[in-house]
Amino acid sequence: MDLLPSDEQLELISTASAFIESRMPIEDIRRRIDEPTSVDVDIWREGAELGLTTLGLSEVHGGSGRGLDDEVLLFATFGQHLATGPFLATTLGARIAAHCGDTELVAKISDGRALVGLAQLRDDGAVSPDGFKGTFDLIDAAGAGHLLVIAEDGAALVEATEFTGVETLESIDPGIRLATATVTSGRILHWVSASVDPIRTRALLLSAAGLAGVAQAAADMATEHAKTRVQFGRPIGVHQAVKHACTDMAVRADAARSQVYFAAAALQAGRRDSDFQVLAARISSSRAAIDNGAANIQIQGGMGYTYEHNAHLFLKRAHFLSHLVAEPTAALAEFLEQGAPQ
Amino acid sequence: MDLDFTKEQVEFRDQVRTWLVENKPTEPRPRNNAEIRDYDLSWQHAQWKGGWAGIAWPTEYGGRGLTLLQQLIWYEEYAAQGLPGIDANFVGLNHAGPTLITRASEEQKAFHLPRILRGESLWCQGFSEPDAGSDLASLKTKAIVDGDHLVVSGQKIWTSYADIGDYQELLVRTENGDSKHKGITWAICDMKSPGITVRPIKTMEGGAEFCEVFYDDVRVPLSNVVGELGNGWSVAMSTLSFERGTAFTANQVRLARIVEKLIDYARDHVGPDRRRPAIADDELARRLARVRASVASLRAMTYVGICENMKSDTPGPKGSMLKLLYSEVTKEAFALAMDIVGPEALRGNSRWDEHGWVGSYLYSFSQSIGGGTSEIQRNIIGERVLGLPR
Repeated sequence: MDLLPSDEQLELISTASAFIESRMPIEDIRRRIDEPTSVDVDIWREGAELGLTTLGLSEVHGGSGRGLDDEVLLFATFGQHLATGPFLATTLGARIAAHCGDTELVAKISDGRALVGLAQLRDDGAVSPDGFKGTFDLIDAAGAGHLLVIAEDGAALVEATEFTGVETLESIDPGIRLATATVTSGRILHWVSASVDPIRTRALLLSAAGLAGVAQAAADMATEHAKTRVQFGRPIGVHQAVKHACTDMAVRADAARSQVYFAAAALQAGRRDSDFQVLAARISSSRAAIDNGAANIQIQGGMGYTYEHNAHLFLKRAHFLSHLVAEPTAALAEFLEQGAPQ
Repeated sequence: MDLDFTKEQVEFRDQVRTWLVENKPTEPRPRNNAEIRDYDLSWQHAQWKGGWAGIAWPTEYGGRGLTLLQQLIWYEEYAAQGLPGIDANFVGLNHAGPTLITRASEEQKAFHLPRILRGESLWCQGFSEPDAGSDLASLKTKAIVDGDHLVVSGQKIWTSYADIGDYQELLVRTENGDSKHKGITWAICDMKSPGITVRPIKTMEGGAEFCEVFYDDVRVPLSNVVGELGNGWSVAMSTLSFERGTAFTANQVRLARIVEKLIDYARDHVGPDRRRPAIADDELARRLARVRASVASLRAMTYVGICENMKSDTPGPKGSMLKLLYSEVTKEAFALAMDIVGPEALRGNSRWDEHGWVGSYLYSFSQSIGGGTSEIQRNIIGERVLGLPR
């Protein structure tokens, strides 16, 4: 049993961090606010060439063949640095394409020429291997040729052209583009049932990893400010009201991160309680990310309320991720239905 | 990263389970302290005879010399059998014992450690005083060197099982140094020494495991000093880091079982609308799910902590993070239990009862106070883990 990142994995994190910090810095979220996509096409391609969307894809399909533990570390890094672009949908889209033998699409995803957005059902529509209908939220779909649609019993890739009359919406997260469209009779391009590959569970886990990263970043930002911001002649972190808030943030982030690691190892090993562990990860990290995002704004004071400060971006990302794939209350209900853990 | 146990560890788990099933106590744990002493010591003795005492203790002191991971496996199986916590043996096994292992002389270790493992001696803790709680270093219980003895006078408080204990890890002030952390001495006190008066304190939960202890010129041999005279603060700190480190693993594992029991209870008992089960109530269900997720992440954090501890020797201040989360989640779980049991909450019971939710709820208040309050844990984490200014 080992739940610590290996040296090799630590190197992976530092490579990914360096790329995101230099090529998609948080400042770019504000800089690109009026662009149709939150990430530049060339930078996305660089990231894809670095292997950021195909880390867990088998080597046969041109991926790096790394385990789910590597993937959660990568997605935690995305969360921590507020990386932009449809990493979640593209990563999982590549898996579906690979399962269905669509080597051309896999190749295009691998070198960054193809992006996959996320289409999330908003009403009582339906998604099945035979087709889909309903009103969907389209997440980072601009510039994407395909969309990932996740259902309870499987997941699909569909062509972006299936969605007509797309209406662009204002997104709570300036780093994620949002639109909506209603489909009366949509065609499925590729379908992978949950028994073949639990795409939905992976999506829940990878979003949990992102949330754990957000929680950690918000905690770090608050602690840093508490050390350097001087009022009444002393750093504000000497006061327990501030110190204890930072402490609670650190504990929440640590617990969330630990559970994400645990869940990744459980799912990878096919443990019978892996759904339990993944849902626990998603619930803990949602709570940690939102609570830490909020607490960080309070610790930053007036500046934390401004648009130019980064604090709000972490809170907004936390809310966004916590609604992906499963609504927070639905995740709680689904979690409670699980049997006792192993 | 993996959760795989080696073949050896899997076999170890099987052996533990088999042994526990065959040897676990069949009688319920008694309520009064004198009977608790016999019950807890004889159960410890049985574990020793079975070869299960001191799993992670060094072999030269009678332990098994195994890893913290095997210790964890033991705790998990132990909890799975629904056995009570180690309770009266807590100080000896998880607190005094580990401190003696790191800081005591060979004579002290040779005498005490096997007795703890064999269930022949019960230990208690003499740290807190009425005016030295969170500010432990301001303790005033005085000890004067008289020949080859310390002569102790003063008072300790919150000493669990002082009335049935054989030995006490006792912190006394042997000199008034220029800093309050200097001049403290850590000594082994024989609880049968003349001049000791023990007065049990009844708690809000109804039990009386806590005691006040009064020392009236109690003579403690200098050979019972652990570390050196005046160096007790650093000895005490190694004890506390043990308490906050691995010692809570057992409680954490048990808490996970308790939350599962609470979920079953909510499924099997009628809820606030007096028609459907409690779990059908959305608010109760969501709170249950949240506390269940918190307990899961506490477990994951414990696993990660064990992995870290296996790479370094002494548990660091990270143990405070586990202790803090454990305390707070425990309180959350039992506060929720009070709402789930509904009108049953009017009826007093004991935490040792089969569905002792009310007693457990009342007891849970002690969890964020004893062993360092949650506020003190937050100071420790803030200053030593996060590096925030004092």
